[in-house]
Amino acid sequence: MMKTLSQRLLGPVTLVLLALTFWLGLWITPPDKVQGNLVRLVYVHPAVAWVALYVSFGTATIASALYLWKRTRSMVMDRIAHCAMEVSVVFIVLTLITGSIWGRPTWGVWWAWDARLTTTAILGVLALGYLALRRANDDPALRARRSAVFAILSAINVPIIHFSVQWWKTLHQGATVFTSNRTLLIHGSMAWTLLISFIAFTMLFFWLLRARYRLEVARELHGHATLDEALAQRRSEGAF
Amino acid sequence: MDHADSSLDLTPVAPPVSKSRGRRRSIGVLVVLVLAILLLLSQGILHSLNYFETVDQALAQRTVLGTKVIRLEGVVQRGSIDRTSNGASFTLDGSKDHKVFVDAHGSPPQLFQANIPVVVVGHFASRSSLKFDGTQIMVKHTATYIAAHPTRVKAPNGTSR
Repeated sequence: MMKTLSQRLLGPVTLVLLALTFWLGLWITPPDKVQGNLVRLVYVHPAVAWVALYVSFGTATIASALYLWKRTRSMVMDRIAHCAMEVSVVFIVLTLITGSIWGRPTWGVWWAWDARLTTTAILGVLALGYLALRRANDDPALRARRSAVFAILSAINVPIIHFSVQWWKTLHQGATVFTSNRTLLIHGSMAWTLLISFIAFTMLFFWLLRARYRLEVARELHGHATLDEALAQRRSEGAF
Repeated sequence: MDHADSSLDLTPVAPPVSKSRGRRRSIGVLVVLVLAILLLLSQGILHSLNYFETVDQALAQRTVLGTKVIRLEGVVQRGSIDRTSNGASFTLDGSKDHKVFVDAHGSPPQLFQANIPVVVVGHFASRSSLKFDGTQIMVKHTATYIAAHPTRVKAPNGTSR
């Protein structure tokens, strides 16, 4: 299969941007006035959360909606939704881990049952539930339809997570980038590094999604090939 | 059975799909999922939808709260911190010139300092007291990030130039 230029560049550019993020984040950007060097986690945690909540879960939801819409219904959409949700689980877990690592020295606790953290944990459970639901159904069409409906219903939690820091009083900080009055609350080289981290982790998601999608296609093809090989071998055994 | 029968049809046949089995599994997954979400909700949202009471709110509900354990939020008053062997005492400011004196046990977090918002877990010493006995201090850092400038010159009045 021929790769396009953008497909060839996706991996190397992602790695370069991630390396740039870590270099800027660890060595170039200044410490924060209050948080000191702990602020360097701002170049990882928000970007990972952005991918977990909006990019990967959003991709899974859109692909699910496109599967349910008759005009665009195809197993490609179902496969994209499945693969995006798997990657989403990884990023949700990373969001909770990096948040916990940041929370211990800043808040003083590893975990707090506030609205933002709890709803994010619920999103993780919903993503795992989606994957479990897929395994519970053997019929591909039924599996695709049920999991698509489930993904769309689960996505209702995403705006709840987003607005939780505005709707309720939480220990988790409010928005720094996506503020209600569109004011960026981070300045200078810190802001640029944050922006690069968002781009880097978004590209990492698409790189992982592409790899997972290709693996899924290969698994389906290889599964049939293996079966054909086994049958051929069985026939040859029968001939003796 | 004749093993040499090469005409045996070995074409793969899709197993019959049992819809009722699939439905039972799906219902099982959904039941587990609902239980997990209810557990998380009972721990989080339902008990602490609003994670804390501000100093103003706590003082407004003073009689209702009594000596009940709450999470109290306010800004640490500058110059009020007195670190003790088993914790710290300080004054928490509200937005309407309300103040609460906090006597907290346990080591404060790394970022604990004056002029930042904190959340203290504890209770008022008595129904009428403005003294708050804390068992845990949590720092509620803001969403604003400002670069520190350690090389800047400090003016005699304490401001940076």
